[in-house]
Amino acid sequence: MSEAALAVRDLEVARGAFQLRVPALELRAGEALAVLGPNGAGKSTLLRAMAGLLPLRSGSATRAESCDVALVFQRPIAFSGSVARNVELPLWARGVPRERRRERARAAMEEFGIDHLAGRDAATLSGGELRRLALARAFAPEPDVLLLDEPFDDLDAAGRETLSLDLRRVLDQTGVAVAMVTHDLRQALLLADHIAILLDGRLAQEGRRDEVLRRPAGPEIARLVGMGNLWPARVLDPGLSRFPGSSIELGDDLRLASVERFASGAEVWVGVRPENVRLAKGAEPETSGRAIVTAIFSDGVLVTALLDWGGLEVRTHFVSGRGLGVSLKRGDAVSFGIRPEDVHLMPRS
Amino acid sequence: MSEASWGTVLEIALRTLAVSGVALCLALAIGLPIGFVLGRHRFPGRGLLVALANSGMGLPPVVVGLMVALLLWRSGPLGSLRLMYTPEAMVLAQLVIALPLIVGISLAAVGQLPEDFHLQVRALGLRRGRAAWVLVREIRLGLLAAVIVALGGILSEVGAVMMVGGNLEGDTRVLTTGVLMYVQMGRYEDALALAAVLLGLTFVLAGTLTAIQQARRA
Repeated sequence: MSEAALAVRDLEVARGAFQLRVPALELRAGEALAVLGPNGAGKSTLLRAMAGLLPLRSGSATRAESCDVALVFQRPIAFSGSVARNVELPLWARGVPRERRRERARAAMEEFGIDHLAGRDAATLSGGELRRLALARAFAPEPDVLLLDEPFDDLDAAGRETLSLDLRRVLDQTGVAVAMVTHDLRQALLLADHIAILLDGRLAQEGRRDEVLRRPAGPEIARLVGMGNLWPARVLDPGLSRFPGSSIELGDDLRLASVERFASGAEVWVGVRPENVRLAKGAEPETSGRAIVTAIFSDGVLVTALLDWGGLEVRTHFVSGRGLGVSLKRGDAVSFGIRPEDVHLMPRS
Repeated sequence: MSEASWGTVLEIALRTLAVSGVALCLALAIGLPIGFVLGRHRFPGRGLLVALANSGMGLPPVVVGLMVALLLWRSGPLGSLRLMYTPEAMVLAQLVIALPLIVGISLAAVGQLPEDFHLQVRALGLRRGRAAWVLVREIRLGLLAAVIVALGGILSEVGAVMMVGGNLEGDTRVLTTGVLMYVQMGRYEDALALAAVLLGLTFVLAGTLTAIQQARRA
């Protein structure tokens, strides 16, 4: 493992009545971390503390030697003057000579597709152009760590998509470490390989992206990471079964199996990602259950179907435009299957 | 022109510029940092200071003159400095008039910046002198407005400089006190000549500053 570019240890920040506590969080070179959490969880405060902009009550946010950190704010400021002057500002701050400054600023503007706006008054930029200006300005001094606060805020869907792909390309090319706060799960998943979850000012979970998506530590985190099926249930007595995991009861005659082990009788939350609910029309063998389609929505790319499984609502996603995406209708009887490895159990107190 | 020579008029005009120029520079040097701190930071007693600055913006010059005169009288707390009826006393009086204007307008300009402006400036790596330069650039329209208002105010006031300067010929006579004196003496031509110079100066200075302000905006 390489040395952390930025490391947070026993961090405590107080902002009025709000307190942020993060025992440990590391960002390594080339790593992309998404910080997720509901509004007011302390995500922006964490980024600002990581950038060394806030007084800490205790603990530390230390960066590796000669590690340069840049922070892009949720509402970036267009300083007076041209776009080029804005992009040159952090270079001027570091005492970079004029010629080198212009060269770096030009390269950064090209990376984010705003080189044609170099001479424009920055105050006249649109929301999307200002986002790109802020990113180019942050990238100009070639930082080792980039902190992004809601980088896709105020952009339309197409703008988000293009900007996140551009950002992905630049991150891959430069190997800069990124920590990003966003409420847009899709963009977070496009960019991040690690996820940190903040709830009420505390670090609730941190880990590799797929691990957090598959194994959220609690129901609130499960909702944040798009685990669309969350049901209260009870773990059954295994009896004579030789199944190595747990058998769970969600209601009268509604049962699922999970590879995760829990003590029999335990009250649990069952989480299943909608994309892990596999549908088949009609009655199929080897299924978890049979259900009726109660609603069906499509955004043109993804179909979301809601199923009634003996009074329990099951949510499923599949691709629009082919197979079930074309033929499925409200009122259809379907079979669905959920693999035991896709059934995640969380304690319910 | 009946009696006052052009040389006298020029001397009075230059003294007017010198006194008001020094007072303005001092007001900027003292007032801008105070305006920045009041506009940027929240601390106990800030509201009182802001209220003081705002009410100070409307101080009647003649009252300022009286207060400064009371300070500078031989029996006053600063009497030992022997500044009464000197250009320095006039500078002090004009400083008291200009200071609240500079503080009030600059704190309003700083207050209009986005709440996290200073964090964003720091996040770009800008420190001290360079951060201050960026701040001044961002609020330059407000600052120019402060300079225009303050300069207009002190160039045209008569009560305070009359009271602490005494309108002494060749020493503390400025354009406004000169106009007043010539009117009282019935020398209307001389009064009109000084008034025309004062008006011209005000127009040229305010016009130049306005041109700078508008050119930068464009």
